[in-house]
Amino acid sequence: MNQKKIIIAVITLSFLAFAWIGYVTLNPNQDNPGMVRFLSLTEIHTVDQTERIRLGGLVSPGTIHVSEQNLLECNFHLQQGDHTVQVYFTGTRPDLFKDEAEVIVEGNYVNGTFKADQLQTKCASRYEGDLRDESSYNTESI
Amino acid sequence: MTPVLGSISLSLGLGLAAISIFLFSVFLQKADYRFFVGGWRAAVLVSALSILATFLLLNELLASNFDIRYVAHYTSLETPTIYKVTALWAGQSGSLLFWLFILSVYTLIVLFKYRNSYTSLMPWVIIVLVIVQAFFLILVNFVENPFSPTDADFVVANGNGLNPLLQNLTMAIHPPTLYLGYVGFTIPFAFAIAALITKDTGSVWIRSIRRWTLIAWLFQSAGVILGGWWAYQELGWGGYWAWDPVENASFMPWLTGTAFLHSIIIQEKKGMLKTWNMILILLTFTLCIFGTFLTRSGVMSSVHSFAVSDLGPVFLGFIALILVVCTVLILVRLPILKSEKRIESFTSRESGFLFNNVIFLVICFAVFWGTIFPVLSEAVRGEKITVGAPFFNQVNVPIGLLLLLFTGIGPLLAWRRTSNQAFVRNFTLPILTGLIVFIACFILGIRNTTLVSFPLVGFVLTAILTEFQRGIRSRTSRFNESIFVALKTLISKNRSRYGGYIVHLGIVFMFIGFSGNAFDSELEFALKKGEVKEFDGYNFELVSIQTVERPNHMAWIAALNVWNIQHQLVTRLFPEKRVYFHRDPNPDKRQPHSELDIHTTLNKDIYSIFSGIDTEQQIAYLKIMINPLVWWVWFGGYVLVFGTLISLWPAKD
Repeated sequence: MNQKKIIIAVITLSFLAFAWIGYVTLNPNQDNPGMVRFLSLTEIHTVDQTERIRLGGLVSPGTIHVSEQNLLECNFHLQQGDHTVQVYFTGTRPDLFKDEAEVIVEGNYVNGTFKADQLQTKCASRYEGDLRDESSYNTESI
Repeated sequence: MTPVLGSISLSLGLGLAAISIFLFSVFLQKADYRFFVGGWRAAVLVSALSILATFLLLNELLASNFDIRYVAHYTSLETPTIYKVTALWAGQSGSLLFWLFILSVYTLIVLFKYRNSYTSLMPWVIIVLVIVQAFFLILVNFVENPFSPTDADFVVANGNGLNPLLQNLTMAIHPPTLYLGYVGFTIPFAFAIAALITKDTGSVWIRSIRRWTLIAWLFQSAGVILGGWWAYQELGWGGYWAWDPVENASFMPWLTGTAFLHSIIIQEKKGMLKTWNMILILLTFTLCIFGTFLTRSGVMSSVHSFAVSDLGPVFLGFIALILVVCTVLILVRLPILKSEKRIESFTSRESGFLFNNVIFLVICFAVFWGTIFPVLSEAVRGEKITVGAPFFNQVNVPIGLLLLLFTGIGPLLAWRRTSNQAFVRNFTLPILTGLIVFIACFILGIRNTTLVSFPLVGFVLTAILTEFQRGIRSRTSRFNESIFVALKTLISKNRSRYGGYIVHLGIVFMFIGFSGNAFDSELEFALKKGEVKEFDGYNFELVSIQTVERPNHMAWIAALNVWNIQHQLVTRLFPEKRVYFHRDPNPDKRQPHSELDIHTTLNKDIYSIFSGIDTEQQIAYLKIMINPLVWWVWFGGYVLVFGTLISLWPAKD
C-alpha cells in the first residue's frame, strides 16, 4: 500500500519539477534573462527596446572609436552583409577585438543604436585555420 | 615512416576487433573454449595496437613532425615540451584517439583481472568493450585520422602552436581525468549489458561493478572540478562554471552516475530497483558518448568545440544504436528485473534513495533541456536562441537546494522504516542548528538565496557529524577505545558508508562555496602608474608596469598593491597581459592573452585581470572581482576525492 503512495509521490514530484522547468523556460527573468534571441540586422527593427537580444557580425574596418573621457567606452559599426548598426559598448574589450573581427554583442536596441554590455570575439581562427593559408607560416616554398 | 605505422596499427586494430567479435560469437554458439581464448587474445591485441598508435602520435608530437596535419595544427617548434604532450588531446582526432587509448587501458585491465575467474558474463563484457573500441577505431580510421598528412602544397617549417588558453598546467590534468571518468563508465555499462543478455541480473554484476563505477565517478568528479578550476584560473571572467554546453556535457553523466551509485546500494542490500539501475547505467553511458559528441562535433559553439566536422552523423548513429538495443534488451528482460521486496514506508532509507534519484534525474533533465534548447528552437521555430547561465541558475538553484536537503535527511533514515522515537532523536539537533543559522542570517540582514542555503548547510553538516558522533560513542562505550581509535576503526570497518559521508561533507563545503556567488562584486577601471582606486573596502595601487620577454610570448606585468581601509598591505598582485607569437611579422597573427592573478583566503578571493594597456601613457585597464567563499569549492573537491578514496580502499579481509 505504502509503495503505491510513494510511487504517486515520486510521480507528483517529477511532474512539479517538469512544470517548474517549463515555467522558467516560458517566463524568463526580465532583468537577467537566460534565453536571448539571436537576431540578424534585418529583423532588428521589429524588436522592443526592453528585450535583450544578441547580434553577430563583423567589426567594420576603421569604425572603432574609444572615448577619451572613459577608456572603457567605445563605439563601432557592426556589419552583416550590406547592413550595419552602430554599437555602443562599455567594458573591457576582449583581446581579439579589432577591425574585421567576428564578434557577438548582447544588449538592447534603442533608438537606432545598439547598447551592448557584452562583447565576445569568436575564437582565434589561428587554431582551426586551413593550413593552405600560407601566410600563417614561416615557410620555405618548394 | 612512423605515421604509416600509426595508420597501420589503427587499421589492424579495427580488423582484429571484428575478428575478436566473430570468435566470441562462435564461442557462444559452439561453447568451444578455444574460440574464447582466440577472441580474448584478439581483444588484447586490439587494445595493444590502439595504445601503440597513441604512443606513435605522441612521438611525432614530441619530434615536431609537421608532415602530420595534427602535429602542424596544434604544436610549433616553440611549444614547451609539456604542451607538446598535452597537444595529444588538444584537437579533434587526437582526443578521439586518446578516448580509445584510455578505453584500451581499461579493457586490458578487465581482460587480465578476470582472466582466471571465468563467468558467463565475461564473453559479453568483452564483446561490448570491443564494440565500443571498434566504434572509435572507425572514427580514427575513416572520419578523423590523426595520422593524416599535412595537405599544404608547401613544406611546413613550423606549426600553428597550441592555443595559449590551453597552455596551463591544469590542461595536463583536467582532460585526462575527465576522460578517465567518461570512459570508465563503459565498464559498468558492459557488465550491465552482459547481465541483461545472460539473464544473470541478480547481485553478481552489481557487486563486480561497484568499484569500477566508483573509480569512474571519482575521475568524473575530479575532472569536472578541475575544469572549473581551470576556467577560474585561466579564462578570466571570474567564475568557474558558465553552463557552457561542454561543461553541461560533463555534468550530465556525473548526475546520472551519482544517482546510479546510490541506487545500486538498494539493489545490493534489498534486491530492489533493478530495472531502474539498468536504465541509469544505460543513460550514463549514453550521456558520456553524447558528451564526447557535443565536444567534438561542433554542433554547439563553445570554448571547447573544434571545427565543424563529419563526426555528427556517425556519433548520432551510434547513440541511436545504443539506445535502441538497450531499450529492447531491457523490455525483453523486464520479467526477470522484478524487485524482490517492496518499499515499506516514506520514512525509510529506501524511499530517501528513491527521492534523491529523482532529484538527480530532474537536474540532469533541466541541464539537458537547456543545452539542446537552441538546437530544438532553431529546428522547430527557425529562431536562434542562446540559453545562458541565468536560465540554468534559475532552474537549478531551487532543485539543488532540495538535493542538499536530502543529503542531510537520507543518512538519518533507517532501512525499512524509521520509528517516531528514532526520528525525533536523529532530527532534533540538525533541525535546531538549521533554525539557529537561519535566525543568525536573518538578523545579519541576508535576504538572498543564502538565507536558504546556509541554514541547509548547517542542517546537513550537523546531520553528518552526529552520524559520526553516534558511531564513535557506541564504540567508545562498548570497547573502551579512545575517540581517535574509535573513529579510525569505525571508518575502516564500514569504508563505503563513512567514505560516502565524507563525500557528503565535501559536497556541503562546495555548497558553501556556491553560496558565495550571491555576494560577488566586480569593477572595471583604468589606472595610471602611481594612481589608487578604491573598491569594496580595498585600495588598489598601480606600482609599475614591467615588460618581460619569455620564450614563446612577451608580457607586461602590472604590479598592484592592495591595501585595506586601515592602510595595511593585504597583498601584491601581478596580473599579466601577454602577447603570444609576438615575433610574427604579421600583427594579425599575434595573439594577446590576459594572465590573471588571484589572492585567495578562506572567506574571499581578490581576482585581478590585466585586460588592456596603453603603452604610451602607461595606463593599465584592470578588472577586479571580489569573490567570497570560492576557496570552499576547491576544498570541498579535495574532501570529496578523499572520501571516495576511503570508499575505494580495499577492506582488510
